[in-house]
Parts: sequence; structure tokens; C-alpha cells
Amino acid sequence: MTEQTPKMSARDVSVFYGDKQAVKNVSIDIDMDKVTAFIGPSGCGKSTFLRSFNRMNDTVAGARVEGLVTLDGEDIYAPSMDVVQLRARVGMVFQKPNPFPKSIFENVAYGPRIHGLAASRSELEGIVESALRRAGLWDEVKDRLSDSGTALSGGQQQRLCIARAIAVDPEVILMDEPASALDPIATAKIEELIGELRGRYAIVIVTHNMQQAARVSQRTAFFHLGTLVEYGETDAMFTAPRMERTKDYITGRYG
Amino acid sequence: MSALALIFVVAGLGLIGWLTARARAASFELGGAKRLHSLPGQHGWYVAIWTVLPALLFIAVWSGMTPRLVQDAVLQHPAAAQLPAFDFERDALLAEAKRVARDRSATAFDPVAEQLVAPTRAAISYYGWIGAGVSVLLAFACGALAFTRIKARFKARTRVERGVMSLLLLASLIAILTTLGIFLSLLWESLRFFGQVPITDFLLGTHWSPQVIDANDPGKSLGAVPLFWGTFFIGAVIAMIVAIPFGLMSAIYLTQYAAPGVRRWMKPILEILAGVPTVVYGYFAALTVAPAVRDLAVMLGMPFASSESALAAGLVMGVMIIPFVSSIADDSIAAVPTAMRDGSLAMGATRSETIRKVLIPAALPGVVAGILLAVSRAIGETMIVVMAASGAANITLNPLESATTVTKQIVDLLTGDAEFDSPKTLAAFALGLTLFVITLILNIVALRVVKKYREAYE
Amino acid sequence: MNSPLPAQADRTPTDWNAPAMQKRIARRYAAERRFKLFGLAAVVLSAAFLAFLLATMVSQGWRGFVRTDVALTIDFKAAALPVDRAVLRTPGADLALAGAELENTVKGAAATQFGVGGEDAISEYAWLKVREAIKQDPTNLDRAVRIPVPASTRLDQALRGDGTAEAQALAERLKAAGLVSTGFNADFLRMSDSTDPVAVGIWGALKGSLLTMAITFLIAFPVGVLSAIYLEEYAPRNRWTDLIEVSINNLAAVPSIIFGLLGLAVFLGTWEVMGVRFGPILPRSAALVGGVTLALMIMPVIVIASRNAIKAVPPSIRDAALGIGASPVQVVFHHVLPLAMPGILTGTIIGMARALGETAPLLLIGMRAFIVQPPGGFTDPATVLPVQIFLWSDEVSRGFVEKTSAAILVLLAFLLAMNSLAIYLRNRFETRW
Repeated sequence: MTEQTPKMSARDVSVFYGDKQAVKNVSIDIDMDKVTAFIGPSGCGKSTFLRSFNRMNDTVAGARVEGLVTLDGEDIYAPSMDVVQLRARVGMVFQKPNPFPKSIFENVAYGPRIHGLAASRSELEGIVESALRRAGLWDEVKDRLSDSGTALSGGQQQRLCIARAIAVDPEVILMDEPASALDPIATAKIEELIGELRGRYAIVIVTHNMQQAARVSQRTAFFHLGTLVEYGETDAMFTAPRMERTKDYITGRYG
Repeated sequence: MSALALIFVVAGLGLIGWLTARARAASFELGGAKRLHSLPGQHGWYVAIWTVLPALLFIAVWSGMTPRLVQDAVLQHPAAAQLPAFDFERDALLAEAKRVARDRSATAFDPVAEQLVAPTRAAISYYGWIGAGVSVLLAFACGALAFTRIKARFKARTRVERGVMSLLLLASLIAILTTLGIFLSLLWESLRFFGQVPITDFLLGTHWSPQVIDANDPGKSLGAVPLFWGTFFIGAVIAMIVAIPFGLMSAIYLTQYAAPGVRRWMKPILEILAGVPTVVYGYFAALTVAPAVRDLAVMLGMPFASSESALAAGLVMGVMIIPFVSSIADDSIAAVPTAMRDGSLAMGATRSETIRKVLIPAALPGVVAGILLAVSRAIGETMIVVMAASGAANITLNPLESATTVTKQIVDLLTGDAEFDSPKTLAAFALGLTLFVITLILNIVALRVVKKYREAYE
Repeated sequence: MNSPLPAQADRTPTDWNAPAMQKRIARRYAAERRFKLFGLAAVVLSAAFLAFLLATMVSQGWRGFVRTDVALTIDFKAAALPVDRAVLRTPGADLALAGAELENTVKGAAATQFGVGGEDAISEYAWLKVREAIKQDPTNLDRAVRIPVPASTRLDQALRGDGTAEAQALAERLKAAGLVSTGFNADFLRMSDSTDPVAVGIWGALKGSLLTMAITFLIAFPVGVLSAIYLEEYAPRNRWTDLIEVSINNLAAVPSIIFGLLGLAVFLGTWEVMGVRFGPILPRSAALVGGVTLALMIMPVIVIASRNAIKAVPPSIRDAALGIGASPVQVVFHHVLPLAMPGILTGTIIGMARALGETAPLLLIGMRAFIVQPPGGFTDPATVLPVQIFLWSDEVSRGFVEKTSAAILVLLAFLLAMNSLAIYLRNRFETRW
């Protein structure tokens, strides 16, 4: 699809929950300086597929992943791969903001702490500040870093979660419908933030909102019933979808 | 050196191991931007665990062995020849010598013990120093070995976490071990009992008098039927006659009628009844309720009424069970869908009609299961019957007469001065096994019923 | 039933105002009121029983905290006890004074001062009080001193107007002479068991309880919490896990006395394996064996409470931590456990309260010893507060009734404190998600 080597790629990936196959033989490449959107009707397997990129499916009892997923050419399901380091390199932002019930500072500092990224307190403070700045939250919270993270508004909480992911200095950020629980203004802020983060990180965003996909992404993958129907440049896909099913979905025939 | 001091020393070594390993790991550097697999602190934990754990295990085993070793050493001393042969006295003298050996301000009363003080002291310190030396050596050796293994690419975190996982698994296995321990030890002793007394005599015999046991035919006086009857009569009949109506009605009143404020205060107050220790109930039953019941019996024309009647123990036990029944009835009634209640009320039924004709029948399986659990608790209850019920085994239907229970007999059989292998003491284990099996069955049945019932409304 | 429904017209409309119907409704309302009254009666009677029980204990127990003293004058100068004054400052003082027949001197003083039966007016341990006084000030031995000593049960009863005729007369005489005084009995909290009800105290039993509880906590809490973590967070769903769960649920319902049998057979039993005699593993009658036994008993309570508390921590917290690369162990120990801790502690305190009030299993493992000296450590023979209550309740002497009730009050105070703490923790720290 592209000349450069992909940051992450999936080959013939299938995900099973018990006997049920949620994702069927999907292959896809994720590039470094692009935002890739996964769209599709709910229950199409896009979130499940996303969670196979940082092995969060491991935490679901009965879930099983087949096929090959690589990060920089390395098989992430290989026994030698340390899942903890993998998740530090591939960060994740969840559908519902889920800050820890700790202070704002501790929320962001937790990741650097467990990974040993800061040698001193001042270095840690530096990491926290820059993560919060990049998440566009610094000016709002710099005077109350010791307040509880759960006391923030929904949109602020989600940006705190993004800051928390950034603080570990990941290479890829997976976002699972990051704005679906937010109001339109907070959503706009998150989308703006995604635009600013592009280039620094490979970003994959799952969304059920096609306008959002069109606004924030350069690549779009359309999923339906566990299969990847179409994958290509966002502009092309929204103006001239190749597949009938994509067209039906985009034009709102079903969803 | 005392075990406690030794543990502190080993813990100190562990701390040193932690600090040095952490410092060493912090000096590691991988080329480029690659991160270390594990944090320095995790390397520290790896070494600390290896330093402390083997040594602690050794200390545990060693301190279990030391008393026997010390005793053997002391018995080698010439003065030990003067010790009486009788076990109990001999142990007392040895214990005295040991006490004096430990506590320098104490003095021995017995001359033989006095002579044994010095050898005891010597033996204690001899084995104490061996233990201390070996454990410190062990801690140092294991810690050093672990230290040599930490390298830049060493996966200390994985190792430490695997250790934590095995610890968790080990902890959860203790529950199984306990269950198994209970079952096997009861079974083992019971089998020895049934080797001496035919099981049919025990389970079907109607004569219970363990005070006088015919050595040739012990089964004749170890028939447990009167105990089973007494247990059933006190725990499942009298106590339930009190607990069921009171528990059920107070649950109904508190959930359906009482104002929220009343409910908020009365519910915890009734729950205090479940928190009062059983020995307090037993004392109360023996001191206050039993005499009152006897006076009542005398009034009713029974001049020789027992002051250890089944009624007194059963009544108090029933009161103790009230909160138990009431909380389960509460849960069961709450689980009945509101739609059912509304349906009945909407037809013009009064609240009591709704409760009696709709809620209770719908909640019945849950209530029944709760009553089964309450019965299982009542028949296993010990202190009330030990203090307020009689030791006389009667099969009677008259609550004013005396009756005895399985639990009371277990305590009576095992708190006398009987030798361990006599049919009398072994009988206690057979009774225990019976009690264990019955309560187990009651619980399993009750939990089944509750589960079925829950499923019906989910 | 295929018969056609009767036409509505066939039925006369219900006349709700007809006298018969009115009567029926009145009857139904009466039944309603009766039913409600029954419920109220059940609640009130249950609460009344509790109140009656507590009132009985308080009305009898408060006397346990009060001691009657009689002022006894002893002329030591005349008695001229053969005691080396220098010894009195050393640890050998007790022995020296006992050897000098101080006890008889004190009794003799009582007989001369109070007349016939005078030595029965003072407690058997009165001379110990005198000994304390001498040790405090050895110059007492050179003069006549007046020392308040505890009255005997006999005199005490008589002072309340409930004694034999001669005791009654003696009581009147002493009261008239102004020798009788009452005050708070601090010795009840300081001393241990005794054959004399005046001299008993709960400190020995209380210390035994504290030592036992310490062992129980040190075993049951870590084991309980760790197994809860394993079962709730890591255990794979298989037959082993099911077995563990079934075990725990059943253990929670096993009668406490069965744990006593377990302790007796396993910890105190002896086995012969290949000709070598093993055991007992733990010393009989000691806080150690009692603590271990009770730990096994309350462990299921802690496991069940901890599992519920862990279950209540929302999965999104775990996702969040996993998502930034926390290992499963870090997720639990950094996030889940701290959030579940209030619930776990509440359950633990409730379990500990249960262990503190438990008697039956401890009777079987020998913790019913007559403890005159408080246990010095975990392996010394000991008893616990509930067992002490049981032992005193068996005593014939009347003076023990009030001591038993007083000990019950102390036990209830401890339980009340623990349960209040549990409720406080629950209300203060419980988070609703």
C-alpha cells in the first residue's frame, strides 16, 4: 500500500471469543505519521481488532487471537515479547474516560514510574508537565495537580487519559471511540488534539462517527461483520468508495 | 539467639541485598534508547526474596526441631537419670528447667530441675547458635547467588511476579487443605472409633452414657440416637419455633411497613443479636432463662423439673438465630420483582394480603433455604447448650425436660481427663464427623435452592 | 374450558357500599392492622430481649468493677516479722515476706481487730495488698499501720444485706466503726484468675485474647486477602478453582466446634510414622495453637469479604493500568488492592470480632487452663476472655456471678468498638462507582 515500512501490521488476524469469531482474517498496515480510523456499525469487530494491537484481548477470558501482528516487524504475540513493554510502546485510550482515583499528577506519573522513565523527582515532574501540555490540559490543571483526576469534567478526564498514555512515550496510540462519551465541545477538543499529536505517534482511532473519521484521519478502514471490507485514503473512501457495502454505510443506508 | 532476633537479622540481610542489587541494576545501561526489561527496584526484590525466603524456611523448620533436640541433649545429662519415669511429672520438671534457663531472674523449686538448668541452658544456646549460623550463611549464600544472576537483560520482574503468583496460589490452596484436614482428621479418628465400636451401635443405639463404658462392649453405652434427637429437638424445633416467626415477621415489618428512619436504626440493632458472643448467651440462658423456665415448670405441676431444660437452651438459641433468619428473609423478599407486588396492590389487595399471598410464596424458596442455613447453624451451636442444656441423654418430646446435644457431648467428652485413644474420646470425633456431614448437606442443599431461586428471577 | 364466558349482563354489578361488603372490607383492614402489629411486636420483642440481656449484664456486672475495702490496722512492730530489711528492695522481697508468715500475721490482725470470725472478713489475697504496702515503704515494718484491704465475698454480701446472721452482725459493726470503703476495682483489670472471686481479674485472659488475636490476624489476613486476589483476579476457570471456591463457601458454614476438633487432631495430635513419634506440632493450651485454629475459622469470612470488595473495583481501572503497560501484579497491588482495602478491612474486623468472641473450639484445644500469671508469650499456656467467662460461670461461689458479668461487659465493649470501627470504615471510605 505504501513504500515506507509500516509501524504495525496485521496479517490474517482472527479473534475468537470462545467459539464465536469476532474478527475474520483481517490484514492491515498502520503507518507512522498517519491517523488511521476504523469505522463500521457497532458489533463489527473494530474495537476487538484494535485491542489485538496491544494484546488487551489477553485480559478477556476465552479470547484467542490467530494470525500475525507485528510492531516494527516484531511479532507481538511471540513468547519472547514482553506484553508489559509492548503496552508501553503501544498506548491506549478507552471509550469511557477512566482516570485512576488518584491525583492528576499521580495519574500521569504512574506510567513513567512503573517503567522507570524518570531518574529523579524533577525529571518526573518534567515528563508530567510536557504530557499534560501535549494533551492540551496543562493550563487548565496546572494549579490543581493534587486534585483527584475523577473530579475533572468528562472531556478533561479523557484528555488526562491521553496525557497518561503520552507520558509513557509510546510509539503508537490506540483510541477506542475516545469521544463517544463526551459532549460536542469536548469532542472537538479531542479531535483537535488528535490532529496535533499526528506525526509524533502512529494513531489508530475507532469511531462510529463517520464525520469524525473524515475530520481526523488520513486512512480509513471499514469493517462489517468481522471482516475488513475496504481500506484506503480517507478522502478517496468518502468520495468514491470502491465497495457497495461501504457506500451503503457511508450514505447512511445502515449503521 | 531467639528466633525473633534471627528473623530481624535475616530481614536486615534482605534489605542489604535489596539495596545492593538495586544500585547495581541502576548502573546498567543498554545501548541506544532500549529500555531495561526490569526496574532496579525489581532486581532488588529478586535478590531480597532469595536472601530472605530460604533462610526463613530454615528458621521455621529449625525452631520446630529445636525443643526436641534440646530435650534429647538434656536427657543425656547424668542428672536426668533422677527424673521420674512418669511422663507428666517429667515434662513438668523439664519445662521448669527450661523456664529457669530462659529467665535468669527465676529460680527453680525442684532440686532435680535445678540441676538440669545448666545443661538446658547450654543446649539451648548450642542449638540456638547452630541455627543462627546456618540461617545467616544460607541467607548470604542464596542472596549472593541471586546477585550474580542480575544482568542488564535479566528479567527480574518476571521472576519476582512469578514468585508472587505462586504465593497467591499457595494462599488459596490453604482453604482446600483446611477442608481436607477437617474431613480426613475426623474420618481417621472416626474409623479408629468404629474399629472399637460397631457403627450400627453408634448410629442406632438409644443408650448414651459415656461415663460408664463397658470395656467389653463399649457400643452398648455409646448409642448416639438420644443426642441426635436432642440436637434436632433443641436446634431444629424449639429454636426454630422462636426464630422463624420472629425473624420472618421482623423482616417483613422492617422492609414493608417501617419508616426508613426506623428501619435504619432497628436493622443494625437486631443484627447486634447475631454479634453477641455465644458464651454470653449461654451464661444468660443458664443464669436467667433456665431458672425462669424451671419455675414455670414447677408452676405447671412438675415439682422436680430440670433447671437444664431443653426449652431454656432452645429459646435462647432461637433468639440468637433471629437476625440470621431475618436477613435472609429480607434478601429473598427484596429479590421478588416489584411488578408482582404492584400487580397485587393494584387489584385492591391490602398490604398484608399482598405479603402473605404474593410476596411470601414467591420468596419461599429463598426463605426455606435461609431456614435450612439457620438450622445448620443452630445444630452446630455449642456454648449455649454446653452452659444451659443438660448432659443427660433423653429422648423426650417435653421441652421442660432435659435433653443433650451432639456439640455438648463433644465438649464433655474431650474436656475430661481421658486418654486420647479411648472409645470415649474417639466418640467425640465420630460425633464431629456426623455433625460435619449433616451441616455440609444442609448447606449444599440450601445453596442449591438459593441459586435456583435467583436464576428464576434473573 | 371451552364453555362460553357468561355475558357481563348476567352478573349484577358489585355494590361496594352494601353492608356485607363494608363489613368484609373492615375485616380485611382489621387483619391488615393485626398483621402489622405482629410484625412490630416481633421487632420490639427481639430488641427488648437484647435490651433485657444487656440490662442484666450491666446490673450484675457493674459490681465487678467495684471493690469493698476494710481498713485493717496491723502492728508490725509488735509482730516483729523476721525479715531482713535489705532484702525488701530486691526481687527476693516477695519470697522473704511469704516466708515470714505475713499471711498469718495479717489474718491474726483481722481476728484481733474485728473479733470472732474476723479473719473471714478479709479476702484471701488481703495479705498481698499488705505485702505491696510493705515493699513500697519498708519502714512500715517498724510501726503500726492502717491499710485498706479487700473485704471477703462473705462480708461483701453481708454489707449488701444478703449474708448470714453473724456476717450481717460483723458488717454492721464494721460499718459503724467507719472502716468500710468502696471504690473502683482497678485490680479487676490488672489481675488474673484466682480461686477467690474478690481477687480475680481479667488481665490474664485479656492478654491471652490479644496474643491469640495477633496470631489469628497475622495468618488469616494475608492468607485470606491473597487467596481472594488469586480467585478474583488470576484464577483460570477450571475444576481446581471450583474446588477452592466450594471449600471456602463450605468452610464459612462449618460449625466452629469442628475447627476445635481439627486443631486437636492436627496441631495437638501425635502420629507414628515408621516408628518415629511426631507431634504435637504446636504447644497445647497456648495462644499459638488457638490463634492458628481461629485463623482457619475466620479465613473464609475474610476471603468472601475481600472478593466482594475486589469485585466492586470497576474493570475500567484495570484496563487503564494495563493499557499503559502495568503488569498484572502491578495492576492489583497498585490499583485494585488499595481501592478494595476499606471493604477488605471491614470484613477482616468483622471476622476478628467473631474470633474474639469464640469459645467452643478453644475449649477443645486446652485453652481453659487456670491462668494465675498472664501468658508471657505465644507458646505459654493461656486462656482467652470468652473461655474465662465460661470458666467463671461454672464456679459455685456467688462472688463469681458479678465477675462473670463484668468480664462479659469488657468483652462486649471490645466487640462494640470493633464493630463500630468496621461501620465507620465502611461509611467513611466506601466508594460507589
